[in-house]
Amino acid sequence: MMGRQEPKMRISERALTVWKLYGWISAAVTLLIGAGLTTLTLIFDWSVWFIIGSAIALILEIVLFVFVLPTLKWKRWRYEVREEEIELQHGIFIVTRTLVPMVRVQHVETEQGPILRKYRLATVSISTAATLHQIPALDINEADALRDSISALARVAEDDV
Amino acid sequence: MSEEKRLHPITAVMNALKTLKEAFIPFVILIFLNRGERESFLDYLPFLVMGAMVILFLFLGVIKWWRFKYWVEEDELKIEQGLFVKKKRYIPFERIQSLNYTEGVLHRPLKLVKVKVETAGSSSTLESEAELTAITKVEADDLNRMISAAKKRLKEEHSVVPEGEEIVEQEPDEQVLYKMSPKDLVVMATTSGGAGVVIGGILIFLSQFGEIIPYEAVFQELIDFVQAGFLLAGILAVVVFFVAWLIAVGLTFLRYAHFTVKLVDKDIVITRGLLEKKQTTVPLKRIQGITFDQNIMREPFGYTSVTIESAGGSVLEKDSNAIRLLPMIREKETYAILDEILPEYHWKTEFTGAPKRALKRYIFWKVLFSLVLIVPVSYFFFPLGLISLILIPLAVILGWMQYKTAGWSASHDQLTLKYRGISKQIVYLKKKRIQSVEWTQTFFQHKGDVATLHATIKSYTSGSHSSIAHVAKEDADLVMDWYSPEAEVKKVHEPIMTNPELEGQ
Repeated sequence: MMGRQEPKMRISERALTVWKLYGWISAAVTLLIGAGLTTLTLIFDWSVWFIIGSAIALILEIVLFVFVLPTLKWKRWRYEVREEEIELQHGIFIVTRTLVPMVRVQHVETEQGPILRKYRLATVSISTAATLHQIPALDINEADALRDSISALARVAEDDV
Repeated sequence: MSEEKRLHPITAVMNALKTLKEAFIPFVILIFLNRGERESFLDYLPFLVMGAMVILFLFLGVIKWWRFKYWVEEDELKIEQGLFVKKKRYIPFERIQSLNYTEGVLHRPLKLVKVKVETAGSSSTLESEAELTAITKVEADDLNRMISAAKKRLKEEHSVVPEGEEIVEQEPDEQVLYKMSPKDLVVMATTSGGAGVVIGGILIFLSQFGEIIPYEAVFQELIDFVQAGFLLAGILAVVVFFVAWLIAVGLTFLRYAHFTVKLVDKDIVITRGLLEKKQTTVPLKRIQGITFDQNIMREPFGYTSVTIESAGGSVLEKDSNAIRLLPMIREKETYAILDEILPEYHWKTEFTGAPKRALKRYIFWKVLFSLVLIVPVSYFFFPLGLISLILIPLAVILGWMQYKTAGWSASHDQLTLKYRGISKQIVYLKKKRIQSVEWTQTFFQHKGDVATLHATIKSYTSGSHSSIAHVAKEDADLVMDWYSPEAEVKKVHEPIMTNPELEGQ
């Protein structure tokens, strides 16, 4: 046997937009800190390396968190909800594949913050008695449908957890 | 028993002692700060404050006892307490997993017990935990009987009982499965590293009170002493270790003396303790998994310790979700006992180990990390620091042992994982108890086509996680296929029967 197939479904492409937006937001924070540091350096005549350092940090952050990592993360994220099981795959540097049988699922939730809402996305959280699994940034309709179908498919087994 | 009841009055003293115990360290600090000359009335103030506080604690203890009432009504245990804010807590009998008894030093002469009410584990029910600090054993047993009767009745209401069939009330079956011998206790104390802990504790204590003890003088004397003869120093070291060992044995006896495992009806009942007797009840159906733990000192002698992971339990007791079932036993003696309790588990099975290509992974990282330690130590403490080079062969040996130990087995309903941190662990998990299976693969593991395999079971409010590193990637997929309800792999390994009578089941 040649190993299990990857799960088939990808998450919404708008997730990429949102993650890039998160990247820009954190870059803006870095920019503010860098600007403050630069001002202080100019006033108090500190080493020029403070300015160079914050510029490099800012560029690195933008390259990594806006351009490189979100794409890698999106490419890796896969999920598949079948009749009797849910399978997830994610992780850039450490790939994680998870299998949760439907009978183990205790409840499903969708949630969205302001940014996710603007892009009509939602996060689906799947809880078992001991673990929590999340599928980030699905299209809101897809997320709602998924939530409904999981909770319809999931029935807690007779065994005590 | 529907009338309101109070706990035994001794509770007031226990409440006070409990508060006092919490205030012990500030008291000690107060005393130490207050050494020196006593000149005026003010110097005695801390002692007066302390005295006043003790009286206050006693008074509060009495009030707390007075305001605490419990009774049974409509198949619920109801508790009312609180001085200013009245708190009422109703626990339905069917939520109660078990009552666990503890008999402290104050309880025993009065034939009292402390009762902990254990409820089904779910984070939303933490509120329903309760503790009855001191009631008579008779009352506790009454309560226990009422709860199990109510539970039985509820069960029968749910299931259809064929008409005309009498329900026979029968006394619960009691069967003693295991008693720990004093010899086992001594072996346990010796191999637990307890003596080391005692010596460490003394050292920490000494370092804390360094100002009081004239170290330099003591040290000078010690040097003279060593010069007087290595023999004497050697004897002294032996004596210190012997005393530490004696203390460790004593502590072990305090906690584990009279360790008995009984099977009562469908519950495991564990009793232990010399001065303070503890009784823990674990319903069989709440057991999620079994772990064999062999530390490095016990492994060569074939001794092991068996813990059970339970979904029930109490947040009031920290270590309650991993319950020591057989704290110290020869591995070959465990199977007969465990087969009595959990016949559906297979204790011996074939294993698939980690692939050869994983060996270098087990070794490489440990050697790398030891180098991180060795290089600076050798550099700054040259030449003595070179001794740290010994870490390299140790890391290689540990990596090799971990590689040899690692293994997994999937029979038709059971996943067994074998792995080693430093101690060797074998974890037995039933398929229906596993909450999720996972593999993870780092960049380097991907290159080597290996993965780390994880399985999670429920353990009280959270999960208990077991994993083995660097199994072949295809094996990780195979285990996932075995776990998957939709894939066709039903079993990979055959269990080896340890009990011939169960053959064919």
